[in-house]
Amino acid sequence: MKTHFRIACYNLLAGAVALFLTACAPSATSKPDSGAADGASAARSPGGDQQAGEGQRGGTKESDASSLKQLQEGKSPVTPASSPLKDVFFDFDRYDLSGDARTILRSNAEWLKSNPSARVEIEGHCDDRGTNEYNLALGAKRAQSAREYLSTLGVAADRLSTISYGQEIPVCKEQTESCWRQNRRARFVVLQGRSAS
Amino acid sequence: MSIKTIIWLGVLLFLQPFNALAAVTGEIVGQGGQKFPIAVSPLKNQGGNTAEAGRLSTGIADAIVHDLELSGWFKVLDRSAYIENAQNSGITLGTFDFKDWSTIGAEGLVKGGFSVQGDEVTVELRLFDVYQNKERIGKRYTGRVRDFRRIAHKFVDEVINQFTGIPGVFNTRIVYVSNSGGRFKEIFVSHLDGSEKFQVTDNHTINLSPSWSPDGRSVIYSSFKDRNQTLYLFELFSGKELKFTPRGAGRYLSGKLSPDGQSVVATLESAGNSNLYLLDKSGNVIRRLTEDPGIEVSASWSPDGRQITFVSDRGGSPQIYILDLQSGKTRRLTYSGSYNTSPEWSPKGDRVAYTGRVGNRFAIFSISVDGGEPRKLTSESSDSEDPTWSPDGRFIAFSSNRAGKYHLYVMQASGDNQRRLTGSGGDDTKPSWSPRLD
Repeated sequence: MKTHFRIACYNLLAGAVALFLTACAPSATSKPDSGAADGASAARSPGGDQQAGEGQRGGTKESDASSLKQLQEGKSPVTPASSPLKDVFFDFDRYDLSGDARTILRSNAEWLKSNPSARVEIEGHCDDRGTNEYNLALGAKRAQSAREYLSTLGVAADRLSTISYGQEIPVCKEQTESCWRQNRRARFVVLQGRSAS
Repeated sequence: MSIKTIIWLGVLLFLQPFNALAAVTGEIVGQGGQKFPIAVSPLKNQGGNTAEAGRLSTGIADAIVHDLELSGWFKVLDRSAYIENAQNSGITLGTFDFKDWSTIGAEGLVKGGFSVQGDEVTVELRLFDVYQNKERIGKRYTGRVRDFRRIAHKFVDEVINQFTGIPGVFNTRIVYVSNSGGRFKEIFVSHLDGSEKFQVTDNHTINLSPSWSPDGRSVIYSSFKDRNQTLYLFELFSGKELKFTPRGAGRYLSGKLSPDGQSVVATLESAGNSNLYLLDKSGNVIRRLTEDPGIEVSASWSPDGRQITFVSDRGGSPQIYILDLQSGKTRRLTYSGSYNTSPEWSPKGDRVAYTGRVGNRFAIFSISVDGGEPRKLTSESSDSEDPTWSPDGRFIAFSSNRAGKYHLYVMQASGDNQRRLTGSGGDDTKPSWSPRLD
């Protein structure tokens, strides 16, 4: 349903008379013009987005409590206080585990060992300083750090998947050290098995 | 005069640059080093449908004025000072009085006319040298009425070509991310002035890192729309989209098409490690480019497609490196500052623009590809990030929160003439400047 809308261009001479028109020099790479991108409503086929999501807006297949799902539903991505799996926190631009982080992870590991059918996705998050792409990679490192430590504590690694959301799904937005600290986290979301809450 | 002489005179006038020095330096300088003073007259309605006449008369002129001012090379004289009435005056040599324009201080003058037939418009635009009473450019365009801004962009590109020997970059687009004030990040395409905004994604998730194919027909971006972040190559005209499926349990965090459009350099994250891979344009892995256990992201191509600049924390902090694809050798580019990211290679090939941390803020820098002292281009009193070069390498667009929310801005490559491009009411980030378009 797309059509290409051409703009034709001609050179005029001073005091132009129509007889002396010449076509404007063609561009270096002759290609159809891009006028179609200017607002024609059919340009983006809905199928392009839908097919990736298997028919569901946003494409999250499982019923899960992931931060992405919560974002889509307009809910806060804060881990509820009642959750048995607590967040662990990191220093700026770091993905190594502090003493406090290890303590929390030991507690998380105990719950996981007591609930052997539970599968968990570990989410890595960052504060909003720095670039989105670097933070996506940093979040992945944070999630992996937590996963590796849980695995050394005896949790089977195949129960633990990881995903990074970088700075994209923050729990707060203030430009303060307190808020930034809350965002530099790994979060543990139960995917299957007994509900975490 | 014989007809032949008239033709040759026209050709000579057409070829002469305003300022021989300007053509050499690629910059435009008016008398005394100031911006070049130019007047842009409202266009004369030369007949046809009058319902749109008023709108087109000033609309086309406004779009020309906007582009000339964005370039930073021109001072466009205020329309309220113009003496003549555009609708009662001619638009060709001998049909209007140059004194009306020299009197108000104009050295250059744009005049033109249009006529509408149905949904088509024919627009005539001319550039005059007020001092020498001569015509420099004469163009006639036909197109849809709704495309009038594109006609204005093409004409300004011609004006700049006339002054500098290099066409302007105003017949281009930017693709960028906007949250439109809400919680989702979608991809948009628009003209540089934010007009003709077109929404590429509408999936109510997080979409990031858009950039152009070299033919300007497609956009590649990353998205969480299928739960796991990966790359999508979207063809703007057809609406067709190709999803890149990473091997194993990996995710693609970002990717950019090569200058010849045949390959993609992408960041694949797998088991916590992010590395660069070379893919073909269908998303199949050709080879792995980095082996470092740390973070390697944000790769950008050199204009000749032989090198890649990217970010790595292998030295302990995020810094910018260059990888030669032929030799496989990597060298570090940035040594100043503790956090440098988002490198973009200038289309001229000589410099890399990037975002660097200064205190608690981020600023845009550029550095020679040979290394050395970087040049800070923006102030660190607010954050400026995500630089992208114009296709001629003379301008940089970027995102900044200096006015509160993040908006898109443009500046000359020197850092001069920083001007706001967008104001969507939300945060606009991660702009990517298209190639020149038809």
